[in-house]
Amino acid sequence: MHILNLSLRHFRNYEQLEFTPGPGVSLIYGNNASGKTSLLEALFYLATTRSPRTTNDRELVNWHAREEAVAPPFARIAADVQQVSGYIKIEVLIQLRSQEQHENSGGGSQKLVRLNQRVVRALDLIGQLRVVLFTPDDLTLVDGAPSNRRRYLDMTLSQLDPHYVRTLSRYNKLVQTRNAMLRAWRERRRTLRSVDEELAYWDDEMITAGGYVLAERLQAVADVNTLIKPIFQANTGEAQELHIAYRPSFDFAGMTEAHHLVEQFRQTLQQRRSEELKRGQTLVGPQRDDLLFTVGNVDLGRYGSRGQQRSVALALKLAEVELMRMRSGDAPILLLDDVLSELDLQRRKYTLEAIRHPHQQTIVSSTDLGTFDGDFLSAVDRWRVEQGRVYRG
Amino acid sequence: MASVRPLQQLLIEPVATLIEELSRLPGIGPKTASRLTFHLLRSSETQSQALAQAIINVKDQVTWCTRCFNIAMSDLCPICADSTRDQSRIVVVEEPLDVLAVERTEVYRGLYHVLHGHIAPLEGIYREHLRIAELLQRLQTEPVEEVILATNPNTEGEATAYLLLKDLAPWGIRVTRLARGLPTGGDLEWADAETLGSALQGRREIA
Ligand SMILES: [Zn+2]
Repeated sequence: MHILNLSLRHFRNYEQLEFTPGPGVSLIYGNNASGKTSLLEALFYLATTRSPRTTNDRELVNWHAREEAVAPPFARIAADVQQVSGYIKIEVLIQLRSQEQHENSGGGSQKLVRLNQRVVRALDLIGQLRVVLFTPDDLTLVDGAPSNRRRYLDMTLSQLDPHYVRTLSRYNKLVQTRNAMLRAWRERRRTLRSVDEELAYWDDEMITAGGYVLAERLQAVADVNTLIKPIFQANTGEAQELHIAYRPSFDFAGMTEAHHLVEQFRQTLQQRRSEELKRGQTLVGPQRDDLLFTVGNVDLGRYGSRGQQRSVALALKLAEVELMRMRSGDAPILLLDDVLSELDLQRRKYTLEAIRHPHQQTIVSSTDLGTFDGDFLSAVDRWRVEQGRVYRG
Repeated sequence: MASVRPLQQLLIEPVATLIEELSRLPGIGPKTASRLTFHLLRSSETQSQALAQAIINVKDQVTWCTRCFNIAMSDLCPICADSTRDQSRIVVVEEPLDVLAVERTEVYRGLYHVLHGHIAPLEGIYREHLRIAELLQRLQTEPVEEVILATNPNTEGEATAYLLLKDLAPWGIRVTRLARGLPTGGDLEWADAETLGSALQGRREIA
C-alpha cells in the first residue's frame, strides 16, 4: 500500500500541511526540530491511533491553535491510502477538552476517528494503514526492557489482525482487574474465604484471551525467524545465523495449539495462586514474556557489540515489513527516522538497496544529505522540511 | 486563565454553597454548577421551591424496598406489595432503572431483586457491596422456583451472573439467563422493550 496524500492541521509544529509522497522512496531532510519526525509520527498515529513519542495526545495539538480562539482546539491528521484491494480515506481528529470536561472525565483530549468519512471506533482504524517505524530509539528492542520486545510483537500483530488488537486490549484489562483483586486480598482489605470462587470467572476469561495472544505471538516469531535469517546475514556478513527465541512465563513443552496453551496457562495459574496472593499481582501470562536474540548461543541483548545490536534492530524492522507483506499481500509503509546515519557503510548500503524495492513506499528522514550517495539521491523524491513547512527539491 | 475558585471568595455565601453542592453531582463541573445556580437565582420563587421540595420528597418519601431493594414509598415497593404477581420467579437486575426496562416489556409478571451494582474490582466493587446476601436470604423464606439473571450483557454483568450462579447452585432451583440478542457490551436500561422482551422469553437454563 502507499499513501497518496497526508494532510495535517494544527499538528505539532505544522499549522497546515499537504504532503504528497510518491509510491517509492521519499527523502525528507532538514534541521533538528524542523518537523521531520512529526511527519512520521502522524503516519504512525494513523496506523496505530497512538503516538510513538507520547502517551498524552494533548501534546500533539499545535500551540497556536490553543492560543487562538479556535474552540475547542484540535489537531487533524488525514490520509488517502491506496491499498492493493482499493482506496480508503482515513482521518483522526484530536480535540482538547475544556477545563471543565477535563475535570469530569479525567482525560485531556478525545479523538474522533473516521474511515471513508464514517465515524468508527479507534480500534477499527488499526490495520487500515500499516506502517513499520524505525527510529534510533529502537536499539532498546535489543538491549532494553522486555516491554519493548512485547510491544514490537503487539504492534505488528495488531496491524495485521483485527481480532488480535481487540483480544489484547481485553486481555490487558482482565489482567488489571485480576491485579486489583489480588492486591485487595494481599492488603487484607478483603477476606480470603472465597478466593477461588471469585477468581474463577476472571481466570477463565484471562486464560482464553491470553491463550490466543500467546498462540499468535508464537506463530509470528516462527515466521519472523524464517524471514530474518537472510536479512541479518546479508547486512552483517555473519556466518552464523540469528535466532529469536520466545521466552514464555510458563512452560508449554513446545505444544503451540491454542487449546494446549490455555490448559497449561490454567495449570500454572493454579500452581502459583498462593504466590500471586502474597505478591498481589498476576505472575503468569503473555504480559510477562520476552524475546531472546542469539547468534551461535551468544545472547546479543547482553553480550552483543553495539554494531551487532543495531543490526538486529534493523533486521527486526525489515523482517516486520516482510511479515506484513507476506501475511496481508500488501507492503506496509516503511518509516526510517534518522537511522541511516547511525549505520556503518555496509549496513547503510544494504538498507538503501533493500528499500528501493518496487511497491515499497518508504519515507526516510535525515539531517544530512551527505549520508547518501549521488546514485541514491537522484533516484528518490526529495523534500526539504523547514519550520513546519515542506518544500519539494 | 479564569478559574472558578478565586471567584468563589467574591460570592455571597448562599450562592457559593449552592454552586458547591451542585458541582458534587455526577457530570456537573464547577462551570455548569455556576450556570445552574444563576439560572435558579433568576427563576421564579415557585419554580425554585418546587425543585427544592422535589429533592426533599425524594429523600423523605422514597426508600429501598426491604424485600427486593427496588425504589419504594413504604416498606414494600408496588411490585412486592402486589399479591397477584407470580411469587415463584425473581428477575435479578443491577439497578432500579432495569426494573422499569423489564416492566416495559409487559411479558413478565414475577418479582425482582435489585443488586445495586455489579462486580467491578477495578472500581473496588465486590460481592459484599451488592445485595447478594439479601437475595440468598429470600430463597429461605419465599417459594422461589426460578431465578432469572438479568445483569447487563457486558464483562462486569457476566462476572456478576457467574458469581450468582455459583451461589445459587446449592439451592436446587432453576437458574436462567437472558437469551443472547441484546447488544453485547450494552446496558439493559437502554435496550428497546421488544428486544428485551424476547430475550426474557427466550431465556436459557444455566443451572
Ligand atoms: Zn420490592
